Amino acid sequence: MSLLTNVMEHSLDEGYAQAAARRGETGSSHLPKALRAKLGLAAGLVLAAVVVTLGAAQAQVSAPAEAKERQKLIDRIHDETRSADTLQKDVDGLRDTVGDEQQAALNDRGGSDRLVELLAAASPVHGPGVDLVVDDAPEASSGGDGGGPRESTGFSDTGRVRDRDMQRVVNGLWACGAEAVSVNGQRLTALSAIRAAGEAILVDNRPLAPPYTVLAIGDGKRLSTAFQSSADGQYLRMLQHDYGIRARISVRDDLRLPAAPSLILRYAGPDPAAPPPARRPSGNGKGEK
Amino acid sequence: MIAVLGLVVGVVVGLVVRPVVPSGVEPYLPIAVVAALDAVFGGLRAMLDGIFDDKVFVVSFLSNVVVAALIVFLGDKLGVGAQLSTGVVVVLGIRIFSNAAAIRRHVFRA
Repeated sequence: MSLLTNVMEHSLDEGYAQAAARRGETGSSHLPKALRAKLGLAAGLVLAAVVVTLGAAQAQVSAPAEAKERQKLIDRIHDETRSADTLQKDVDGLRDTVGDEQQAALNDRGGSDRLVELLAAASPVHGPGVDLVVDDAPEASSGGDGGGPRESTGFSDTGRVRDRDMQRVVNGLWACGAEAVSVNGQRLTALSAIRAAGEAILVDNRPLAPPYTVLAIGDGKRLSTAFQSSADGQYLRMLQHDYGIRARISVRDDLRLPAAPSLILRYAGPDPAAPPPARRPSGNGKGEK
Repeated sequence: MIAVLGLVVGVVVGLVVRPVVPSGVEPYLPIAVVAALDAVFGGLRAMLDGIFDDKVFVVSFLSNVVVAALIVFLGDKLGVGAQLSTGVVVVLGIRIFSNAAAIRRHVFRA
């Protein structure tokens, strides 16, 4: 405490008292009279004013400097994000190139067998077939309009198309002689899975949004008739009748189905005896119907 | 008169010339400002007490600024710069307050 008391009591520089004692002066307030003393006072005040002003100016200058530094950081973040995007695009492009090369290699080597290619969904195909559109019941509102998962009761909502329904429909089409099937533009391979995740139906882990358009290539008229009279067709009609699910089947003369996006080579290896493959521009071999 | 002129000149010089503060001493500028204010208030009080002395004023001003900056500099080197500058600000702040109180008693007689 004595330290604080000392500070409080001796707030005035003791030099003043000593100087006054030397001069033998006390009492009345006065300013220095001599010119030299006045100049000294003025010089001190100039110094004090300069220091205080500088401090204020510095505080004002450093604030925008900080903002500038922050802006610089933000700019750097944007730059790096842009370059990361570019690199990601490169990666995507290279992945596509690899896929194309793979396709080309397949066409060169094992692709002579069109049937294998067709069954493996390795190439785009076209031909007559049926176009089947399945959609949720009109009152099942939260289907594809972005309703949050909490806004509906999920699969207790019977007016919605489920993954099981899609599985039955697709399997029925295969059973009735479809040679290639796609759902919402996704070609199905022998290894494709139709599953549910929460509210969405996934085909090969890619979510679909209703309405679900199933394209099946086959003998159009006969495929349509066979499907509608099959057990799965009847199941679909039952869904239509009981739950209001909408389904529409039509025969088409020429359907175009893309190749499956991700074909994984499992058992293929380079043939050591074969000469290096002649490059072909891209995998455009068509599995003719 | 000359004193007031000096004050004005100092502000104008600081604003117009805007001398570049070297980045080395920049951290000590706020402390220097507080020390300068302490010296100015001390001088003002001494004037009202009737014991003002120009030499004491100038010397105390310069030494206050230098010593305050030196203490903080030393603290920076020892790694306790922030604490030491807090200490300097506390001591100088107490002095400024009690000097201001003395000035107030002189001016308002209260």
